[in-house]
Amino acid sequence: MDYKGLSEQLVKKCLRLGADEAEVYVESGRNLNIRVRNGEVETVQEAGSHGVGFRVFVQKRMAFSSCNDFSDKALENSIESAVRFAKNTTPDENNVLPDDKGITKVGMLCDSQINQIPKKKKIELAKKVEKLAMKDSRITKSSGASYSEGEEEIFLANSNGLSKSSKVSACSYGVYVVAEKGEQRSSGGEYCSRRFFADLKPPEEIAEKAAKEAYEMLDPQMIKTQKAAVIFDPDVARAILGGILAAINGERVLQGRSFLAKKLNQKIASELITIIDDGTRPKGLGSKPFDGEGVPTQKRIIVEQGILRGFMYNTIVAKRAGVKSTGNASRRDFTSLPGISAHNFYMGAGKNSCDEIIKKTEKGLLLKGVTGYGIAAVSGNFSGGASGFWVENGKIAFPVRGLTIAGSAFEMLNNIDMVGDDLDLTRSFTAPTFRIKSMQIGGKEQGKGYVFFFIYSSERKFLAIKYYLLEL
Amino acid sequence: MKFRGYFVEDIPRRKFLQMSLKGGIALAATPALMTELLSYKGSEKAGAKLALDPQILKKTIKHALEKGGEFAEVYVENRISRNILMEESKFKSGVFALSQGAGVRVISGDKTGYAYTDDITEEKLMNAAEGASFIARGTKAMGPVDLKKVKRKSFITVKLPLEGVADEKRLEIMKRANQAALDYDPKIKMASISYYDEIRGRTVANSEGLLLSDELPLLFFIVQTLGVGKDTRHMGRERLSRHSGFEMFDEVSPEEVAQTCARESIAMLEAKDAPAGIMDVVMQNGWGGVLVLEAVGHPLEGDGIARKTGVFTGKMGQKVASDVFTMVDDGTLPNFRGTTNFDDEGTQMKRNVLIKNGVLEKYMTDILSAKQLKMERTGNGRRESFRYIPIPRMTNTFIEKGKDKPGDILASTKKGLYVQSLSGGSVNPITGMFNFTCREAYLIEDGKKTIPVKGATLIGSCQDVIVNVDAVGDNLAFGPGICGKGQVAEVSAGQPTVRIRGITVGGSRAKR
Repeated sequence: MDYKGLSEQLVKKCLRLGADEAEVYVESGRNLNIRVRNGEVETVQEAGSHGVGFRVFVQKRMAFSSCNDFSDKALENSIESAVRFAKNTTPDENNVLPDDKGITKVGMLCDSQINQIPKKKKIELAKKVEKLAMKDSRITKSSGASYSEGEEEIFLANSNGLSKSSKVSACSYGVYVVAEKGEQRSSGGEYCSRRFFADLKPPEEIAEKAAKEAYEMLDPQMIKTQKAAVIFDPDVARAILGGILAAINGERVLQGRSFLAKKLNQKIASELITIIDDGTRPKGLGSKPFDGEGVPTQKRIIVEQGILRGFMYNTIVAKRAGVKSTGNASRRDFTSLPGISAHNFYMGAGKNSCDEIIKKTEKGLLLKGVTGYGIAAVSGNFSGGASGFWVENGKIAFPVRGLTIAGSAFEMLNNIDMVGDDLDLTRSFTAPTFRIKSMQIGGKEQGKGYVFFFIYSSERKFLAIKYYLLEL
Repeated sequence: MKFRGYFVEDIPRRKFLQMSLKGGIALAATPALMTELLSYKGSEKAGAKLALDPQILKKTIKHALEKGGEFAEVYVENRISRNILMEESKFKSGVFALSQGAGVRVISGDKTGYAYTDDITEEKLMNAAEGASFIARGTKAMGPVDLKKVKRKSFITVKLPLEGVADEKRLEIMKRANQAALDYDPKIKMASISYYDEIRGRTVANSEGLLLSDELPLLFFIVQTLGVGKDTRHMGRERLSRHSGFEMFDEVSPEEVAQTCARESIAMLEAKDAPAGIMDVVMQNGWGGVLVLEAVGHPLEGDGIARKTGVFTGKMGQKVASDVFTMVDDGTLPNFRGTTNFDDEGTQMKRNVLIKNGVLEKYMTDILSAKQLKMERTGNGRRESFRYIPIPRMTNTFIEKGKDKPGDILASTKKGLYVQSLSGGSVNPITGMFNFTCREAYLIEDGKKTIPVKGATLIGSCQDVIVNVDAVGDNLAFGPGICGKGQVAEVSAGQPTVRIRGITVGGSRAKR
């Protein structure tokens, strides 16, 4: 199907059906998902699909519709429904569409050969990574290995004469395993995502990391509730970056729903911290030539040596804020309006090696897993479940699990006193290892404990439990 | 951070789907969730298009089994939805979508093949059948099947059908909620009102001869309010959702939803840092049941049990919880968010008692896991849309009511944390470790609710938490939610007021 021609035609159709301005977003793609377990294929799922989203403005009132049926009647129905509903929404002079016809040159986003590689080879890869991960005797069960890939083409046209297209691919594979010891269970997993099939890491590396993650966490110990250093592994970068990303969303900032709303050009973090959003990195999993509404992408500094330098905008929110779009319009798919999100979002590398950071930590937590929402964008509060390793005298002492960590974003960011040199930019949302000098870590009672006394009568009949709070 | 385990979310779907994209991988054709279309009126309502020729369904099933396999299924879906957003007292947008498609599934031993298409034509269905049969290579072929139209009991009644409701009525409901929120207190600086409705038409046909169709309406109304204090901000949230007609808003007014939300926003402005450490937790009745839904429900789903990776593997008939603890999954509660007339594989919905007085009695199954475990089909085979394979999922999951008075439970708790509502959380179904974030929580001092605390996380293991439930109230209540397990499902979670002894609470200050 000539989607490019179709998207341009559909813009005209929107105008004919009553829109003053219109944008058409066509998406076409295919995907493949394979899951294996215990050396056998469990599921193979394959599909191709397409869809179109219409954004229309009628007297500066906005409405949106989408459909995945490309018959003339369905397309027309869909446009009409958007135009009709637009009379109900509130007019807003900020409702505008972009007109920048430029495209950022970003190399190597599509592996045109990926579909030619036989399915069998992809199944073998998943089987192999599972087999390798099961090699260690401490690993008792497989929770499955998987391979998935997708190709996606976007065609975007609007009534300002913009017409752009892009094509990307992505593939990913990984494995999850279980280690058991007596009644204990511990799970571990690892995966790798790339634009090109040939760039996927070897299965040996993936398998080893998954297995290690599972068995290393056996025999955890409990620590006392205390304040101590916390070293964030790159695997838990999202716990801290996620909240920052949400808080620099230009719309949240305008609405006062962000803890960073009034902090532009102010110090929000230690001077060791630089945070960048880059939509232009070749082969980047978050890279694109243009954003979700056609604005060229760029590389931007968000936090520069601890100073907050900018927020993120799409076209409408930028107009409202009186600035230019930063090329951060995001689109989940053809069914959704453009939101605001990052491309490749990361914390810049520092000078310390990871080993050095551990070595310089007298007492603290090497954080490998965090559960919960991370930093809350509205309040900046942070609280979550934590697991990893306890560090004593510069050495990893034992695994810890079932801990909690908590604090406020400003405290945490300003207390970062070491940043690692181990930044891996093949991930789209990442940080190097870094250390927060001190955080509240919840473990067992602080030097107190309950002692239970079971009280029985002379006939050994159970009467009561009494407990006393003791200082231990 | 890697995606692990299953989770329940308290934020709009858009954001949470973005987050669930592992490592930024953007696979094509993500689900058409919030999709749907306004212009589908009266004569053209959902389902009209699903009057598919049974002969085509039969041919598809036959083709799907030509290379072997013992079960094949065609699932045809048509969804019309609208999502309207009001923020800062403005109607920002209306999003309408029409989504249609069909999925073909083949099961051969433990293997599943699946393919789907947007175009419901004979040619595309045959292609999908071909794709789905990939895994069945080399096994024996099955003969043709006869399809018999089946009827199932309905648990959903509609008084005011959505397709007959004018858009002005929907906008009116939103305006009323917005006004009520802003009127509640001058400290409420903003309200965000999200209205979603859909009609989902489903047809299921399979090689067992089943042929079933129905149509389900769904309403989802979310109010969020921003309270702003001197140096504090709190975003409150309240939700209302049912499989029902527009009469939902006559039964629960939009003002009531907005006021409940605003009350939380204001109450939490005074919140102090939460303590850290192990303490007794009293959970108020309602959505708090999500802790059990996630932490205990997911590990009781049949797929993890069949794979022998779930924490409750091999525990059937054993005592796994305290005597006062009974847990139920019931897809038949009238008009509830987790209710359907039959699951997405065509199985009749029913009330399933999973744990009775502490003893594990049942796992939740879909067709495949029921076969693997040699157990009954419980009506838990669900899928987000035609783009997904059905898997065992919860429906309306809750702790059954007990005998304790809620007031007594609080009064007999000397010190601890009173959790009025939870945001959501996640569980690792292999280890059973869970975490939950509190939306609204208070300290308990001398059997009384005292100061509000912010940023409290509850963590623990699902095996421990149900052993440590020692008081169960008589005031069962429910709340609506979205549950994620690689795909999302609409669920309800419920519980009476309960007390759990000794949960690890993560706060930012040491316990006094």
